[in-house]
Amino acid sequence: MSTDIQTLKSLDLFADLNFGELEQIAPLMHLMKVTEGEVLTRKGEPAGTFFIILSGNFMLSFKEERTFTLHNKGNIIGLSTVVTPFRYTGTAVALTDGLVLLMQGQDFLRLIQSNSALGDKIMQKINEIVSERMPYMTGAWEERRY
Amino acid sequence: MFGLEAIIAHDGLGISVIGISIVFVSLVLLSFAVSQIHKLIELWDKKNTSYQRVKKSQQKDQKTPSVSDLAIPQDVQKASRQFKLLIEWMGEPFPLPKLLDLSGKCGLSHPHSTINEFIKCELIIPAENGYYVWNKQLEEKRSST
Amino acid sequence: MENLLIEFLSNTGFALVDYRNIIMLLVGIIIIYLGVAKQYEPLLLVPIGFGMLIGNIPIIKDFGLGIYESGSFLNYVYYGVTHDIYPPLIFLGIGALTDFSTMLARPVLMLLGAAAQIGIFTTFLGALAIGFPPNEAASIGIIGGADGPTAIFLTAMLAPRLIGPIAVAAYSYMALVPVIQPPIMRLLTTRKERLIRMEEPREVSKREKIIFPIVGFLLCCFLAPAALPLLGMLFFGNLLKECVVVERLAKTARTSLIDIVTILLGVTVGASTQADVFLTRQSIGIFALGAFSFAIATASGVIFAKIMNLFLRKKINPLIGAAGVSAVPNSARVVQMVGQKEDPTNFLLMHAMAPNISGVIGSAIAAAILWSFMSL
Repeated sequence: MSTDIQTLKSLDLFADLNFGELEQIAPLMHLMKVTEGEVLTRKGEPAGTFFIILSGNFMLSFKEERTFTLHNKGNIIGLSTVVTPFRYTGTAVALTDGLVLLMQGQDFLRLIQSNSALGDKIMQKINEIVSERMPYMTGAWEERRY
Repeated sequence: MFGLEAIIAHDGLGISVIGISIVFVSLVLLSFAVSQIHKLIELWDKKNTSYQRVKKSQQKDQKTPSVSDLAIPQDVQKASRQFKLLIEWMGEPFPLPKLLDLSGKCGLSHPHSTINEFIKCELIIPAENGYYVWNKQLEEKRSST
Repeated sequence: MENLLIEFLSNTGFALVDYRNIIMLLVGIIIIYLGVAKQYEPLLLVPIGFGMLIGNIPIIKDFGLGIYESGSFLNYVYYGVTHDIYPPLIFLGIGALTDFSTMLARPVLMLLGAAAQIGIFTTFLGALAIGFPPNEAASIGIIGGADGPTAIFLTAMLAPRLIGPIAVAAYSYMALVPVIQPPIMRLLTTRKERLIRMEEPREVSKREKIIFPIVGFLLCCFLAPAALPLLGMLFFGNLLKECVVVERLAKTARTSLIDIVTILLGVTVGASTQADVFLTRQSIGIFALGAFSFAIATASGVIFAKIMNLFLRKKINPLIGAAGVSAVPNSARVVQMVGQKEDPTNFLLMHAMAPNISGVIGSAIAAAILWSFMSL
């Protein structure tokens, strides 16, 4: 097992999953240490990996340098890996040293393929996060610009 | 030799009884040790926090407390002057990546973690539309106390 | 020219084959079939099965081809088995891929891992009783630990000539866990017991997980120093996994390294089952005693769990006692399977992993004890 079940269970994204489902996900998640200033994703590049923060602080900048920062365990980076356009819409930079869990997009697609109910549960959560971040991604604040 | 005779001749019973006893003792001891690890960690953490609390209270006694001291760490205060100059030069609201880029070009040390500290102690706060501003109110509050 | 042709033909497998080779080749094919079609431990059975085919091709003696002929390719690779190099490396990989947190969350379940080792010592007595010398009896008993590398480790030390049959018996029974264990588990438990739900384990901190391999190693190896090669590597692998800073090493240990060693171990163990060495009365005895050892180990775990329930405030599901045999994670999966047959919403897998992993430690300690006693 690459990641332990308890760590996964403590993450908001996987909180509703049962042990059997977590067991399927665990081997697909890999732990990675990041250092201050490390770039996790680059805007416009093909999205191949998504990250879940375990510790550390991260900055996500999107179109026209609109930015927000992530500081909590369970926050996600690289959602474009699993939703259209499958290209990173933002650049993610580590503001401090930290730990992330990463999953390859290919593995996630395979997971959806092998257990669609589980994939659906995760996708619902991801969609909620995507809709929260949508203004940053699309710049839908156009009229209210400074 | 066969049967009980063989077992007795090779001291089989003794080996088996002692063998399984050692296995049990090992795992009982390991189980006990394992059950104490988290308690020891908790104890260690408590000791550390209480030590820090005592240290803090000693520092409190030495000088009069100020709002700014409580809210913003010393090293962040020092760096804030340099970052504030950069922000003034950029104009507000400013994009965070641009501040990061400029601070790196100006050779400020650890720009990423410093900006993170500013955000955490709310010296830099999000404005609308994904841009940020310098928290003048907090700064004024600091200077007035 | 005619002579040359006749000589060549007399050296081919067709001329040299005898019925024992045919039997072993068939056994090899059956083992490959079990691995491929039934998917019983394919990672082990496929290399072992093919190794059997390699080892049982009839060849001329002293031609430098056979596994027991010094200087042959197979003999060099077999060196890792006979000199106890592969088992510790496999333990390194197991350590680097195993999550000990369920065991750390409820350490009392480790006792089930100890209880299942009763099978080893009972079989040791049984083997002595039917006439095996003590060193061979000890190697046969360890089959009940359901741990292939441990069985090979001890046999290489105590009875090298039995490595083939003992390793094949150990791995076969490990693969047959889903067949052997469920009837014993059902026989020894009531439906009410099988329905017991286990309480959620507490969360285990990262620091606990990092400290555990160090404490575990020191404690176990001070008590049973002969377990050093196996447990040293197991705990070292686990430290690599948990400390995070050497993720590259941990990844190598749990993927490439363990895979390479499994291939070499599987093929050579298979090849070591040459008909003249393997098809003996002793082998039949070893297989029979191995099955007995396995059954006793399973039963001991289940019965011990029931005894523990007499004293525990929060009852445990006695099915998880069966996971005390260290076939990781197969026996834990069997527990989950049997439990879910009674109640599909009852998830025992996570809880069964605790005795399952402690069984690995327990069987390594048991092997160390037997080795120490036999060397006295």
